[in-house]
Amino acid sequence: MNASVHDEHVPDEAWRRVHPVTPALKGWKSVVAVVVIVGYQAADDVRSAADLLGGPGWLIALGIVLLVALVGWGYAAIAWRHMRFAVTDEAVHLHSGVLFRTQRQARLDRLQAVDVVQPLVARLVGLAELRLEVAGGSGSGVQLAYLREPDAQALRSELLALAAGLRRPTAATAPAAHAPGTVSTPVDPTAHAPADVGTPDATGSTSAASPVPVPPASSIPAFEEAPEQEVYSLPMPRLLAATLRSATVVGLVVLVIGAVVAAAVSRDLGALAVLFPAFVGFGGALWGRVNAGASFRAALSPDGIRLRHGLTEQRAQTVPPGRVQAVQLTQPLWWRRKDWWKVDINVAGYGQGEDASRATVLHPVATRDEAATALWLVLPDLGVPEPRALVDAALSGVDDEGGFTPAPRRARWVDPVSWRRHGVRVTRTALVIRSGRLIRQVAVVPHERTQSLGMEQGPLQRRLGLASFVVHSTPGPVAPRVDHLDGRVAAALLDEQAERARTARATARAEQWMRERS
Amino acid sequence: MSTEPTTARPPEPDPASSAGTTAATTNASLPFEPAGVTWTAVSPRLAAARLTTIALVFGPLVLVLAALALATGASWLWVPTGVVVLLALWGAVLVPRQVRAMAYAERADDLLVRRGILFRSLVVVPYGRMQYVDVSAGPFARRFGIASVQLHTASPATTASIDGLPPAEAARLRDRLASRGEARLAGL
Repeated sequence: MNASVHDEHVPDEAWRRVHPVTPALKGWKSVVAVVVIVGYQAADDVRSAADLLGGPGWLIALGIVLLVALVGWGYAAIAWRHMRFAVTDEAVHLHSGVLFRTQRQARLDRLQAVDVVQPLVARLVGLAELRLEVAGGSGSGVQLAYLREPDAQALRSELLALAAGLRRPTAATAPAAHAPGTVSTPVDPTAHAPADVGTPDATGSTSAASPVPVPPASSIPAFEEAPEQEVYSLPMPRLLAATLRSATVVGLVVLVIGAVVAAAVSRDLGALAVLFPAFVGFGGALWGRVNAGASFRAALSPDGIRLRHGLTEQRAQTVPPGRVQAVQLTQPLWWRRKDWWKVDINVAGYGQGEDASRATVLHPVATRDEAATALWLVLPDLGVPEPRALVDAALSGVDDEGGFTPAPRRARWVDPVSWRRHGVRVTRTALVIRSGRLIRQVAVVPHERTQSLGMEQGPLQRRLGLASFVVHSTPGPVAPRVDHLDGRVAAALLDEQAERARTARATARAEQWMRERS
Repeated sequence: MSTEPTTARPPEPDPASSAGTTAATTNASLPFEPAGVTWTAVSPRLAAARLTTIALVFGPLVLVLAALALATGASWLWVPTGVVVLLALWGAVLVPRQVRAMAYAERADDLLVRRGILFRSLVVVPYGRMQYVDVSAGPFARRFGIASVQLHTASPATTASIDGLPPAEAARLRDRLASRGEARLAGL
């Protein structure tokens, strides 16, 4: 234990470590990277590579790989030694870094989402990564990799319960049952102590006085996982069909036809060679979509929306109530006949990660009913007597159907294709924005989630007396705006919406969703 | 100070340069004139600062081009010189108008920021949504005695920056915004 990283807010015995196998899993990446790079270089000249591998070069190559592996694993092991985390009632504390030490505190009342992510290799050995998102901008989340899967799930339940405002039972009642289990990984000391022999007893192992709720086999965990109810799931055939009906596939088909025609005209099969990289690229994109959307399931629990998806890398997301900042339903042109919709959400903290586009999907391919259900998940009360009629009008209506305020007729001069679709409807709880004719879009922003508002006007719009109304939301796929409204309507909307957002915020539910607002 | 509050219809002597703010507001500009809002214009020294920047960027360029044209005697070199001079002149005409179009207003619960002549925009930032406030002043700005205040919400789309405030006013606004933000603090 390093004395320089001391935190007086956290009792020493509350510190935990991630699973000792972590360095091995992480160290692999450097080995793979080196092998790929070297292999790529050598593949330029197959014969020389073969010569090299034929003689003593084999041993040299093997030696280099081993050396890199040792260095990679060694570094990962040191990094593992320096990484510790602790969960208190208010925050998650994370200490990490070898040369440059970082101490991070993520406040639980600012918790935006908790994900359990399992890459393929981790899943094979039963480990998982826990990711906490707080709304602090890029790289502000806390990533705990890797934990044993049951531990990760227990920790998730604990974090959600604490963030919801529940308090852990007093230390006297909980740990008595598992006092013997004082070795190795703190989270589950009794059941798996022999398996985790590598754990040095450095962080102050989980002692009997630990306030951390440890779920041993013999007693009830301090926080049980909140019960959940499945709301919808995505059948694989629909995902495949929807993926095939994408612009990517259309582009590929066009390319194939073009190449075949070119080859036929020029009587030179060389033109077909262009297809190989195209197949690789497009195939990769399509595979990514199928991989991310496979076995997509959504459930509702007191802790919020639960999403599970992924083929090779599995991901279980939990977004607590009131954390979704905006919803968007999109229908690409090729999905119109099937009436399928993609549902995206803005969640603060998801917006900037490396795989943000995976985390912000609420439903990859929804039927109209499921799209309405997905919207209901986020916003149970749409603030109108007949929510379904409103959703239908928003999804496929034009002009003033469904009580929408449309763009005036003169807007056709600036947007001849889809001016009839531009429209906005204000309900008691949310702002519903409709747009797009070829690619239909509907965005819904709850009033209390509005960050700021804007109005824009270009020279053409000014001549026509039009203005665009913009709602600023947290970073993410949804950027709600209504184009080409009548100028006065837009100004009135801006004024009223500022007022509405203010009153909605005043009555919004507390950040800690299981506590009464004080 | 040069930032005395002006009303929605400031007494602008030059009609050509005040398309958005004069009494001659057309119907089309009405959306950007919410009722009962007292706009505060930014300091005209911002225009001076920006004009200086233009002069510093385009001046040497024009000189070099002209010198080249004279030295080589190539008459076609006068064409780019002329283009650069025209660009600089256009900027010089535009900048004072742009600066005059920039204004902000503090309301009871939100801050309004307005800018632009050709492409206009108006941003409403509720105090309770502010995450932090930046006050910054570059070397030029300091020389001209101005600073800029930028408001940040949880949304990167909130482009509410007020350039060209006298430092005292910038500090006052910063403290005012911070205290109002605290009073109306909300989560996300």
